[in-house]
Amino acid sequence: MDFDVVIIGSGAGGAPIAHTLVNAGKSVLVLDKGPLLRTQSDNLDGISDFKRDELLANGPEKILNLPGVANNGQSYFPSHVEPDLNDEPHIYKDKQGQERATIEGYTANVVGGGTQLYGAVSVRFSREDFALGSLNAGRTDLANDPNGDVPREARDWPLDYDQMEPYYAKAERLVGINGTAQGQIKPFTSGNNTYQTPLEPNPISQIVADGMDTLGMARYRTPLAVITEDHAPSGRTAGNPKTGYVNRYGDPMGYKSNTWVSLLRPIKDNPNFELRPNCHVTHLQAQGDRVTEVHYLDPTGATKVVSGKVVVVACSAIESVRLLHISAARDADFENRINGNNLLGAYFLTHCFGGAEVRLRRRFDKSISLDSDWATDHCANPDWFRGQGLWAGGVMYNNTSDQALPLALARHDGSADLDTTWNGWVGRVFSRANSMPGDQFYDIADFFNQELGTRLSVSFMANQVPVRANRILLHPSIRDKWGLPVALIDKSWHSHDLAVMATLEAQCRAILEQGATQNGGFDNGNLESGFVSGNARIANHILGGARFGTDPTDSVLDPDCRAWNFENLYVADGCFMPTSGGGNPTLTIQANAFRVADRLLASGRI
Amino acid sequence: MVDFTYRDETYVFNRATRYLARTEPQQRHNYLSRLQPDTVRGNVADAWRFPVLDGAPAGTDANEVTFIYRAWNGRSPAEVAVAGTFGELYQPIPMKAVGDYFSVTVTIPFNQVHRYRFRVDGTWLVDPINPQQVTDARGETWSRFFTDYCTQRLVLETWEANILDRLTALLLPFRTELGRQFLDRSLPHNYRLDESVGVVNYIDKILAREENHRLFDYRTCLSILNEVLRARDFVNEPEAMSRALYEQVLGEMESGNVAGWDLDRYGNPNFFVKLLKRHTVTGAFCHPKYGGNVNGIAWAYLEERFRAEDGGTLFNWRQAVEQPLGNNPDYNG
Repeated sequence: MDFDVVIIGSGAGGAPIAHTLVNAGKSVLVLDKGPLLRTQSDNLDGISDFKRDELLANGPEKILNLPGVANNGQSYFPSHVEPDLNDEPHIYKDKQGQERATIEGYTANVVGGGTQLYGAVSVRFSREDFALGSLNAGRTDLANDPNGDVPREARDWPLDYDQMEPYYAKAERLVGINGTAQGQIKPFTSGNNTYQTPLEPNPISQIVADGMDTLGMARYRTPLAVITEDHAPSGRTAGNPKTGYVNRYGDPMGYKSNTWVSLLRPIKDNPNFELRPNCHVTHLQAQGDRVTEVHYLDPTGATKVVSGKVVVVACSAIESVRLLHISAARDADFENRINGNNLLGAYFLTHCFGGAEVRLRRRFDKSISLDSDWATDHCANPDWFRGQGLWAGGVMYNNTSDQALPLALARHDGSADLDTTWNGWVGRVFSRANSMPGDQFYDIADFFNQELGTRLSVSFMANQVPVRANRILLHPSIRDKWGLPVALIDKSWHSHDLAVMATLEAQCRAILEQGATQNGGFDNGNLESGFVSGNARIANHILGGARFGTDPTDSVLDPDCRAWNFENLYVADGCFMPTSGGGNPTLTIQANAFRVADRLLASGRI
Repeated sequence: MVDFTYRDETYVFNRATRYLARTEPQQRHNYLSRLQPDTVRGNVADAWRFPVLDGAPAGTDANEVTFIYRAWNGRSPAEVAVAGTFGELYQPIPMKAVGDYFSVTVTIPFNQVHRYRFRVDGTWLVDPINPQQVTDARGETWSRFFTDYCTQRLVLETWEANILDRLTALLLPFRTELGRQFLDRSLPHNYRLDESVGVVNYIDKILAREENHRLFDYRTCLSILNEVLRARDFVNEPEAMSRALYEQVLGEMESGNVAGWDLDRYGNPNFFVKLLKRHTVTGAFCHPKYGGNVNGIAWAYLEERFRAEDGGTLFNWRQAVEQPLGNNPDYNG
């Protein structure tokens, strides 16, 4: 046996396990398909592989070359660490049933995974998020749920909030998070919170604070995985992390607590730890109930095999499910063990997501901020969401760093997602020849005058109803650059999701309406709101597809995130979630991974 | 002899694997079929990234340029070297094998353009990946690269650049009285920057490298535009024609209906306007190393224009950006 544990993926699911097991003296190998991009202090020449450079978050134009998909021939503008769609696309079916390739999903191919690029919002899920099955049992008052799908499909997690709480605390301490606990609906039961002190909010966020106060919504400083003080567990020194280069940027200074700087770099010199970046795992091979071989391609593309007493799959929900499907397609017994109940890939989830945005009469410097300042659990309160006829709630928070820089503003203007970058401003008519007499000449200066530093948005992040037909499959014909079938995602919204989104959208809108009215106001038509139902896009948070549970006929993984019919196969990224939670998922993936690591140590398997 | 180093395995793999490693040759990256069929660069992702440019230690005003060669026919060569105008042209620098990749890193100052070739087991080759090529006076083909802050014209003809300069200036804020005053105030005494603040230079660079597949659009549309403009003003050269004429023609292109436009040569003039607008705003507000936004002048314009009541700026870009461009004390760029 080469290692005690082989972990596939170094992001929120893989890194906490590696960190825990290496410190417990186990031999650990982490494989990641992406490069190891380093901070300034990692590199001897003092130059980071990440930059404060707007052309890294969305790079030069690429053109889709995937005959047969509906957006073939269209332009796309991925970041430097997002997958190349021509090499390894994700395909989803749009509302018309047409297949499209998408860059959505935050599958950053880099050591640290999605935590390198995320906005770093690190909220806990609420007590109710763990128990939506029992909370909704027998309910008949749910909006837009004529067939009773929601009570039938809602599931409790196999552990409750109190069992997860110590791992939330551990993740918050080791990852390095700033925020405040007061005002949260989530209890801190295992001791005082270990949040670092938040920085002064951006002045624009006072509008949101005023709006929340007027509406009687208890608010707290949005927990963000960014250090504001020296962080002893990871050996990091604090600096000034406030820049416009936050969401969708790797941090050259390592202030953002991605899993490389917070969890892996501190163990990198341990003799029992090995990280192999630029290595793509192609499939797992098993003998009976044991995964015996992890097959991967080394950085030159040569095939390699490695083995571990335990194998942990954590390469983001879609890619993890795909890897298991590909492994199963090679071996009927593997297929029977991982997918005997036909649930692998099923109940794929994202979040009910949307919000409101206002264009203010005043201007603020949004380029000096973190991703969010204020959050509220008002809509996560069960009394509130049950009163609204909803099955679950979610968090709301303001976005501070979005569209803070000129190019981000221009390229995301009018675009609904990452697949439609550069669809807005470039199409706006700018010439006098096309305008009515007296119209202003519409150039870049006019655009920035109107938009730069004047937009303020509030978002919600809420549970999506689990639907069995929402699932991750292998595409029947499209192959990646290695000749392997790519992921095909079939996903739509349940009618109750639309009720959830419309209700929370109105709350976000009310916050801005109240806040902006008290702070200089806004012009008619400049308050907009919406949610993501307009298209079937995948959205940023990819969860579910291999859910855990207590019943082997109803889940893919056992309560420890071990595949039911394998002795040594664990799955630890967001695909374990049976419901998607009322908040951004990363902290919960990290907390659960710390828990899985403890369960592994207690299991006697390593 | 130029100084060279061999970077470690992780450094090379970090910059090669994602783009070059693959199982089967397929033309996955043959954008718009504008690359020659069956070339290596149609098989690999982001061929334009090679040779790899990286930042050099702060204060050196140079890039670290890493040449990477890999054999594509299954035969790994015994000896690979690189020679170019950055060093002794006929004294190749040996490249070191890391897995299947051969590489060497040299430090080259900003604003330089060089040609080079690989010598593979005694045979001279152009870089099979890098799409940038030039032909020398003797008719021989070389691979080419340029470093950051490059101001040398690479692909656009002078007359093309002149028309582009007029078009892009229409979109930028510096045509206004306010913008002009700002430029006059901000620039060194004897330095007269054109209104496009380097945008045309940026476009020249991106057409030479990252978006070489769009050179066709520019070549074709600027040629048609040249004819359209000359048909409407018999007296002046295009660079001297009136702003009103440029505004009129751009407006017509936006509507898709341009009198005198040859639709058989380019069917969608509105698409070209969108392309031009994307490149113009990007070139104006990108990091200056890409060739536009000279000295951060477009950022400085926003900094000056957007002020709070107390006079402080509402776009303090300098605090995040490395010195000497910005004033961040910690970030090295």
